[in-house]
Amino acid sequence: MLKAIESILAMAEMELRRLKHDPIEIITRAVQPILWVTVFGVVMAHRIMVNVEDYISFIAPGVVLQSATFIALAYGIMLVFERESGILKKLLSSPIPRTSIVIGRALAGGIRASTQYIIVLASAALVGARFTNNLLLLITGYLVVTYVCMGFTAISILVASLMKTRERFMGIVGAISMPLFFASNALYPLDIMPESIKLFALVNPITYTVDLLRALLLNSSINAFNDVAIITLFNIIAFLLAIKIINKIIE
Amino acid sequence: MLAISVKNLVKIYSGGVIALNGINLAVEEGSSHAILGPNGAGKTTLIRILTTQIKPTRGEAKVFGFDVVNQGNKVRELIGYVPQEMSLWSDLTGYENMLIYSKIYGIDSSKRGSIIEELLDFMDLREAANRLVKTYSGGMIRRLEIAIAMMPRPRLLILDEPTIGLDPRARRIVWERLQAYKKERGATIFFATHYMDEADKYADMVSLIDRGKIVAEGAPSNLKKLIESDRIILKITGNAEDAKKLLLEYSSSIIISNNGEITLAVKDPATILPIIIEKLYSRGFVVLEAKIVEATLDDVFIKLTGRSIGEEEKGTISEVMSVRRAIIRGG
Repeated sequence: MLKAIESILAMAEMELRRLKHDPIEIITRAVQPILWVTVFGVVMAHRIMVNVEDYISFIAPGVVLQSATFIALAYGIMLVFERESGILKKLLSSPIPRTSIVIGRALAGGIRASTQYIIVLASAALVGARFTNNLLLLITGYLVVTYVCMGFTAISILVASLMKTRERFMGIVGAISMPLFFASNALYPLDIMPESIKLFALVNPITYTVDLLRALLLNSSINAFNDVAIITLFNIIAFLLAIKIINKIIE
Repeated sequence: MLAISVKNLVKIYSGGVIALNGINLAVEEGSSHAILGPNGAGKTTLIRILTTQIKPTRGEAKVFGFDVVNQGNKVRELIGYVPQEMSLWSDLTGYENMLIYSKIYGIDSSKRGSIIEELLDFMDLREAANRLVKTYSGGMIRRLEIAIAMMPRPRLLILDEPTIGLDPRARRIVWERLQAYKKERGATIFFATHYMDEADKYADMVSLIDRGKIVAEGAPSNLKKLIESDRIILKITGNAEDAKKLLLEYSSSIIISNNGEITLAVKDPATILPIIIEKLYSRGFVVLEAKIVEATLDDVFIKLTGRSIGEEEKGTISEVMSVRRAIIRGG
């Protein structure tokens, strides 16, 4: 058990070291979400389309999630690449359990993805968003993003093992990530949505994560327990599927 | 004790490709055993089964007595494995790659540092340790991968084409290190290759594989005795046809080429050559030049299968890519 945890942490460390050597992806990926909060957010804040007081603060958690889940979903490309190289083969023939490989890589993906939390919140604050100044809540928010992105990385591992080429894989990632963003409470409250989209938003894990982040960062009173339970359920399903499929990746 | 024991192993991929068609194999502990054959013969598939990555369709494979299917955990603890494709994170340094893998392998934190240091020296990588792997040469990459495979001190090293694409000097260094490890630790080395000279030089035992079957097995020198294809090439004075008649008792196959050279296929050229020279001399022929050309494992392979292991001189990258594609396809 201890060794399994150690190997999972080793993969997280691998990702951190990689980020240190090459932080370019994190910065280029942050351009789009920064535009969402600083342009879209600022412009929309002056319109009274949605029933929200402080619109920039309202959308910031959703934009964090959009950007972070995109990175998490794209993480599988690394796995496609590693399938072509020997890393995955080497991991599969090493003493660590295959479950640890999936969890470790998912944690690595979560770490890479959650860098967006810091960048997006900071740029939102610069254009007038007001978040809690409680450090503990801010850190908890970061952990929540990492946690849910682990689930999305697991989904990415799943998709990567079904796709044969990188190009097809990126197409699929684009096709999942934007609908997840729009059909959630990221940009507008659930109660102004048409019923059909609302239904989709209610099974969308991003909805619950955004909900939870708002509770943490904006001190809005929401049922946090419910959110955590649903995110956990999503993660468990994603992990079970990814663990089941990992054997297929190389065969 | 047998390091590897394989019985009637069959692997049929989901596309219906028969990669292994009833393999039997016994690898003695402490030996160096090569599996030699052309690309697509089934070498990589066999290795992937032995390293517990994929399951066989039928048959049995054991590593130190542990079944690769039911006791995969035990097997994985005993082996060090270097896949044919690169297995490093190229955007980390050499040292970081070793560090991450040592943690993944669960090597004690108290021993980690000294093992890494020792292997960096052993593989002559100390100076490059803090450079990103993407700046490494092919030979350095291979040495680092082998160093990583050696970290848990495995009793069995399984190497898939350990020197593919390397120049002769880099190949020699890699093999010097592998042999030193084998000697120091009494470890077993099992490797797949399509370089016949490599199998000839570095393997105690060679299994020739073709189309998913072992076609011959033995020490390289014994395998070469299977055929009478060591050759003596002579340049003489006088009539070559007359000389040929004299030599018929020593060789069943004598050819006179256009430039007058006589080529004899013989089993033991080193002892026969002096006798032949003497005989020719006593009949008035003078031998101007004598050359011995030894049989290669490729000659054995050609004799057994009608095809050459070949491709050795061709480009390395395209070769790796084609193999890789075949592996991805499951071929």
